[in-house]
Amino acid sequence: MLARDYLDFKRALDAKGILFSISGHISEAILFSVGDALKKRMAVADTDVNTVKRVFSVFVEQVQNIIRYSAERIDVPGDKDQLSRGTVSVGLIDGRFHVACCNVVRSEEVPMLRARLEHLRGLSKDDMKAYYREQLREPPASDSRGATIGLIEIARRAARPIEFGFEELDPTLTFFCLEVCI
Amino acid sequence: MENRFKIAASERTPAVDLDFLARSLSLSGESYPEDAASFFGPLFEAIKLLLADPRGGPVRVEIALAYFNSSSAKALMNILQTMEAAAASGTPVEVVWRHAADDEMMREFGEDFGEDLVHVRFVLESVEGAP
Repeated sequence: MLARDYLDFKRALDAKGILFSISGHISEAILFSVGDALKKRMAVADTDVNTVKRVFSVFVEQVQNIIRYSAERIDVPGDKDQLSRGTVSVGLIDGRFHVACCNVVRSEEVPMLRARLEHLRGLSKDDMKAYYREQLREPPASDSRGATIGLIEIARRAARPIEFGFEELDPTLTFFCLEVCI
Repeated sequence: MENRFKIAASERTPAVDLDFLARSLSLSGESYPEDAASFFGPLFEAIKLLLADPRGGPVRVEIALAYFNSSSAKALMNILQTMEAAAASGTPVEVVWRHAADDEMMREFGEDFGEDLVHVRFVLESVEGAP
């Protein structure tokens, strides 16, 4: 039974073309190690250098968003590295990489996050570039901790419009997912 | 004042070399620190010292990064805006943005960062191999 259960789990991941998937409390150290393995995995497969950079960039921004914005966070006493709960996966289907990230956010943050993502989803490549340049020169909004420029960076690397969704868990917490195909 | 402000490269932070006598600053490697504010903070302080040096003279900045994340991007833009202000007040500043010839992302970033610089002389340089 044990092997069967985990094999079903592995097959579910394989069916989505998942190369890496981490779920749990994620730290900056995990970001670095998995990012390193991801680059090596792509290099071994002779992935185009520009694709490697784009996938890596989306991966870093997505994982740093979990670390900074997950509502499920543990501060470890005496350690500045935060542990923030979320799920990140990188997959390859039909020659295209996708990076998906999910984490719980505070429900009160949902309207602003949704508005930002909908805005990005509607921008053309040229408008996205102009918006990036504009935001790069803006002082960071006090509540965003640099989120806007990170989300633009993610959306810019996407080969097709970003996909996202929200599922309310209770009145205060909402499950959030963002998937990018590169 | 020390003549140099140097930080050795780590796996996720760039090599930084600010030479107060030569009035040059170079950044190379990759930049996605855990905390961009605490990594770049001391460099900003060193840049302020350099620009406040009464001896004056032209400043040269060389940015040859292979990758940087969005919080590093904000810090780099902050450096360029500081340089633009210095150039507007009469300090000649040249910024060379060097990228590998096949690196589309770093070339496009060079165009993003160089736009709007009026007083700084901005040079986008493509090289074969590592920047």
